[in-house]
Amino acid sequence: MIFSPPEAGKPFTNKIPQVHLREFHKIVTRFYSMETITLSGQLFQYLITGITVGSVYAMVAVGFNIIYNVTEIINFAQGEFVMLGGLIMVFFHVVMGLPLIMAFPATVILVMLVGILLDRLAIRPIRQPSVLTLIIATIAASILLKGAAMFIWGKDPYDLPAFSGRNPITVFGAVIQPQYLWVIGFLIVIVIVLSIFFDRTIIGKAMSACADNPNAASLVGINVKQMILLSFALSAAIGAVAGITVTPISLMEYDRGAMLAVKGFGAAILGGLGSFPGAILGGLIMGTIESFGAGVISSGYKDAFALIVLLIVLFFRPSGILGSIEISKIKRF
Amino acid sequence: MLRIEGLNAAYDSIQVLKNVSLKVPKGKVVSIIGANGAGKSTLLKSISGLMNISKGSIFYKDKDIAGMPANRIVGLGISQVPEGRQIFAHLSVLDNIHLGAYLYFKRNNRLEIKKRVDRIYEIFPILETRSKQIAGTLSGGEQQMLAIARALMARPEMLLLDEPSMGIAPLIVREIFNVIQQLNESGTTILLVEQNARAALKVAHHSYVLERGEVVMEGLAGELLNNPRVKEVYLGG
Repeated sequence: MIFSPPEAGKPFTNKIPQVHLREFHKIVTRFYSMETITLSGQLFQYLITGITVGSVYAMVAVGFNIIYNVTEIINFAQGEFVMLGGLIMVFFHVVMGLPLIMAFPATVILVMLVGILLDRLAIRPIRQPSVLTLIIATIAASILLKGAAMFIWGKDPYDLPAFSGRNPITVFGAVIQPQYLWVIGFLIVIVIVLSIFFDRTIIGKAMSACADNPNAASLVGINVKQMILLSFALSAAIGAVAGITVTPISLMEYDRGAMLAVKGFGAAILGGLGSFPGAILGGLIMGTIESFGAGVISSGYKDAFALIVLLIVLFFRPSGILGSIEISKIKRF
Repeated sequence: MLRIEGLNAAYDSIQVLKNVSLKVPKGKVVSIIGANGAGKSTLLKSISGLMNISKGSIFYKDKDIAGMPANRIVGLGISQVPEGRQIFAHLSVLDNIHLGAYLYFKRNNRLEIKKRVDRIYEIFPILETRSKQIAGTLSGGEQQMLAIARALMARPEMLLLDEPSMGIAPLIVREIFNVIQQLNESGTTILLVEQNARAALKVAHHSYVLERGEVVMEGLAGELLNNPRVKEVYLGG
């Protein structure tokens, strides 16, 4: 210890010239304020960051699951919904100057429209589709959306003002951006709204019925194509919310979608493809592993940790944590 | 009530139905018997709109419904109980029943739906005790009852039944055929496709025999029961 702590009431030295004293004082206070970040505080910091990032992955994973459950398609354009959510929000909120409360729903609606167009233009026109051709169509759509975004916004990342300022809150020695709470909060809202939708409304049940058996669903009068459209709209909306809430933390640029899709897909697989609680759990685990891996081992390998987890799950338990092996046997993909 | 004229249907290039014509008069039970692969299920799927037909007409109440999507045909009053039951295995029994009345839910008629569910529980009391259970965990017979219940929730004027006896214990088969008879007595027209020819002929008024996609015989069910050829091929001698 080079500096001993100043004792209360005593100037710690008067031998050092006054002009240096102020600098010296600054260094000391900075040194001690760093010292107060304890190990547990540090770990808590990783955890809270991980949960925040994980919430975004969870939202992407939920989006995957909604479409997967109705169609058995993995929609690889899911990450593009997130990217568009962020960038369109920047346009409405920053460029056009719309207040948050208006820009938010406007962005969600616009991205939903993109989701609807994706279904109408890329999925529905395919005749006698196999699951694989449909998945390839979504990959094509994602490349197209990425290209369009680059054309419109260029390659630079964009920032969005945080919803309630950027004054960090200190909790248990961890520094938390208020925006983190917005991200986590929106995940909770999405979970509640979706569970009400799927458990309590007949449209939600009808969507589950399509997933279960599309032919039988149409025999009771459910318009399966409409349900597929709805699943794309819903997934796009959730992707948009993820993009809007995360942009103030991590910025957003045109090519972020692919990596988000991979992480979200990993989360969905980890939790068990098709399971909503699984998607949430998988997302949070994925985010936490990534955050701890980056903090404790090396941030350079940040993306690798998530992918390693994905591979391990695929090797040893392909049905995921909450997925049922029975169901995964029935599924075509 | 239902009139089919010169119906042809094919899977890719394999022709399954050849020039099938038949009539289902209002208030009657008509059965179609035939061996596995004779095209019985394809015929029902063509009526309910699950299968694209290549030629021919299907008149329901004098309106040609050929080519109409399945989800609109239900609205006309034709409900199908599909082959192999095809209940929504991951949903609860009550959800399955409710989804049967999907079109009425959209009109938000809660009271009517409640009435229908009560009526279903009268017909199949076992479903009431199982209402919270996940449908996939029911026994085969119970699943068949659920599939019929789901179809009945739409209050069909005409019910299409595809192999209701398939893979079910004989005792339950009898129970299900009793229900079919009751439903007919209360005014539902029924078109029944069945491999169990004896049961099908007993419950039906009129029957058709389908072989390799063609109608080879038709007549009053009682007559067919005594027909030597039918006896030999379908009733085990």
